[in-house]
Order: sequence, then structure tokens, then C-alpha cells
Amino acid sequence: MKERSKDGIHAAWILLPILLGWELIVVLAQIPVYILPAPSQVIFSLTTRLPEFTHAALITGGEALAGLILGFITGAATALGLGIWPRLERSIMTIAIFIKSTPIVAVAPLLTIWFGFGILPKIIITGLMTFFPVLVNVLSGLHAADPALLDVFHSWKASRREILWYVRIPAAAPYVFAALKVSGPLAFIGAVVAEWTGASGGLGRTMWMAYTNLNLPILFAAVSLLAGLGMLLFSGLTLLEKKMVFWMNPET
Amino acid sequence: MEIKINHLYHSFNQQAEPVQALEDISLDLVSGGFTAIVGPSGCGKSTLLRLLAGLLQPTSGSILIDGALPGQAAARKQISWMAQSPALLPWYTVYKNVELAREVNPQNHNGTTPKQLLEMMDLLDFADAYPHQLSGGMQQRAALARALSLAPRLWLMDEPFASLDALTREELGREVLQLWAQFKPTVVWVTHNIHEAVLLADRVVVLSRRPAEVLDDFHISLPRPRSELQSGYQTTVQKIRSSLGIVL
Repeated sequence: MKERSKDGIHAAWILLPILLGWELIVVLAQIPVYILPAPSQVIFSLTTRLPEFTHAALITGGEALAGLILGFITGAATALGLGIWPRLERSIMTIAIFIKSTPIVAVAPLLTIWFGFGILPKIIITGLMTFFPVLVNVLSGLHAADPALLDVFHSWKASRREILWYVRIPAAAPYVFAALKVSGPLAFIGAVVAEWTGASGGLGRTMWMAYTNLNLPILFAAVSLLAGLGMLLFSGLTLLEKKMVFWMNPET
Repeated sequence: MEIKINHLYHSFNQQAEPVQALEDISLDLVSGGFTAIVGPSGCGKSTLLRLLAGLLQPTSGSILIDGALPGQAAARKQISWMAQSPALLPWYTVYKNVELAREVNPQNHNGTTPKQLLEMMDLLDFADAYPHQLSGGMQQRAALARALSLAPRLWLMDEPFASLDALTREELGREVLQLWAQFKPTVVWVTHNIHEAVLLADRVVVLSRRPAEVLDDFHISLPRPRSELQSGYQTTVQKIRSSLGIVL
């Protein structure tokens, strides 16, 4: 934990001069605000519209999280099903790769037409985007169990279900977190892009409005909020990972 | 359990050329006997144990355990096999690891509790520790506790004392013999330590360098409890040593 806060301070020391330089260049070169806003202007618009931004961030964050959970549950359940019935692996993977190869972003307008401007189409798109990495990672995690452990269970003639429960699923845990760390940022991309195709609220919607009005301070504020949300999710997952996969990289 | 090994051959087809691991091994092991198998490292001792545990299928020849194939004996939960690596589940505590063996094999534990076995292995203080917090020797003792909690019928032990110090080895040897006297399982004990073999077993089978053949077969009739000081001990060790010396 101490190391982490130190890392944060180091990052701030690197970031601060960049922001100051940026501010200085914008002021000295008199760059118009519709080309590049100064950091101070971004912070100003963020603080003056804090309630609206909070509301939008909650919507987008909620969509991303709900979609991630949806994609995770379906992806992990599919992987588990394939762990029990390995013969289905080829056919299911073909379908999964078909979903993966479809540019989900291109499907977003369609889903908006079907399901309206609410949060449902955003959750579906986010779920579709996160489904595949979760499926692939959990599947390889289930296959990654230590052969020495499997030998012990085979010598006991343990059932497939027992091996899955005691060996394969715990062995897949590190892969699950790898999957979530890849899918987390994808979830925000999914939610924001879905909002661009039409939404009643959210940071994507805020960005779209700011873009059409060439209000760059708001655009930048929304982008930095999105980055912040992504980092929050990532560090939350890292923390959870340390708790749950305690046998990997132990501190002692 | 009576074990009949008949003209057993085993080869691995890993590369283009198959590697011959076992060549024409025939052994009859009496029920309740304690047989030690010694031989140079890499000679195929572990392969023989894996075949007995039903984890591998022989290339040719047969193994019958009380007239049944190893797989069938394993399905009846009559076998307890211990590998060279501790192979503990890293996500469970030491206690849970020992307990799990009984959970998966409910019909074949021998009445000892995980607590008793951990006490025997001097691991009671580490019952709630996770495997990664233990030293190599402690992990092996935990794996031994797990193996001994099972199957009073047939114990297949693959160098269970390999990473233990001499003192612990001696102590645990006594404990193992006590359990053996209590439950009378058939024991096949792979080791490269001649002293360990002579102290524990009533029969020592010497295997040759790969492909392994039976070089010698000693019946150890030294009275128990055995010690290195008793008469006849050193000559027995010498005999096995010279038998191994042929191949070394």
C-alpha cells in the first residue's frame, strides 16, 4: 500500500510540469479555447458543473459496470459449461469468435433503435464487448491447472465435478482477474460509444453535446472523468485480486 | 492387497524415438508387505508407481491388484498415491488440504483425523497456514499426512522423505511403521536412500538404470524395531549397495 501511494506521488510529480507547461503554452501562444483549452479552464468547467458531471459519471459508470457484470457472468458461465462438456468447445468458440469479429460499435445504432435511449442498449453492448475476453481467459484458466494437482485427483478417481470445483476453478482465478482487467476499460469504451449513438444521459452524451457545440473544456473534463473512472475500476480490481488470489505473488 | 506385475513394459512416445522406461518387470508383492524400490535416479521408479496407481497405461504386460486392474482398484478408492512433489492445493490451508483427501474419498479413510496426522507430522501449529508459507520439507510432511489419511489397503509412495532432514526422516519413519503395523496396508515405497529402505521395508527391489529391469530382490528379515547398530544391518546395506554399484 505504501509503495502505491509513493507511485501516486511520483506520477503527480511527472504530471504537474506537463500540466503547467500546457497551461503556459495555451496562455502564451493565445490558442483559442475551441482548439485547445488550458487545464485551468477544464478544471473550472468541471467544478462549476459538478452535479451534472457527477450524474453523468454515475450513469456511464453504472452502464459500464452492469455490462461488465453481464459479460463476465455469461462469459464465465460459458467457459464453465465448456469445462463440463468439452465436446461443445469448437462450436461454441465459433459462435463466440463470430460475435467477437462483428464490430460491436457498428451494431450500437441498431440496438439504440430497438431498445431506445435508456441504459439497456448500453449494457448490452458493453456486455457483448466484455464477453469474449472473459470467455477466452477463463477457458484457458480452467485448462491451466497444475498437472501435479490433477494427478493427485486422478489417483483418487475424483469426479469431473470435484476436479472442477477443487482444482480447476481456483486455478482459473488469476486468469479471471486478468480477464477483468482487460474487460474493464473495454466496458467504458462500450458504454461511451453506445451513448454517442443516442442517449438521454451519461458522459458519452455529455461529450457528444460538447463536441457539437465545440465546447472543448467540457469535452476534456468528460474525458478525464472517464480516465479517472477507468483507473478507479482497475485499482479496485487489483485490490480484490490481492485478496482473492493471495497465493500468487505472496508478500512474505 | 496382493500385487502381480507380469512382464511389464513401458515406453514414452515423446520424441520421434520412443524412450523405453521399464523393461520386462515381473514382481509378486504379498498382501500387507512393505516393499522398497531403489534404483538410480531417472531409472523409471516413478513410472512404475504411476502405472500401479492407474495414472499411466502400460505399453505391454499387466498389473493386477487383487485380481483387478489398477484403474479399477483406484475407482474402489483402495489406493493412496503420493507424488514426489507435494502437490498441495495452494488455495487451501494445510488442514483443509488433508481434510480434502477424505472429503473426496469418504469411503476409504482409516479413522485417523487430520488433526492427529498433522500432530504426527509436527505441523499442528501450521494447520491454518497456506502451503506457500511452509518450507519444502514442511510441505512434504503435509502431503504425507494427506496420503496417510487414506486407503489402508495400498500405499504408493514416491520418495516421500526426499526433502526431509535425517532427523525428521528417522522420526517419521517410525510413525509410518506404526501406521503400517496398525492397518497392514501393502506398501510400495520408492526411495534412493538405501538406509531408509533397510530401516523400513521387509523387501528391497533394486532396479537398474533405464530401461529399468529388476537387478536384485532382497528379503530383509532383520527384527524390528531396526536400527543402524543392530547386527546384520550394515551387511544388508552393503549388499544392496554393491548390487547398485554394478550400475553406478
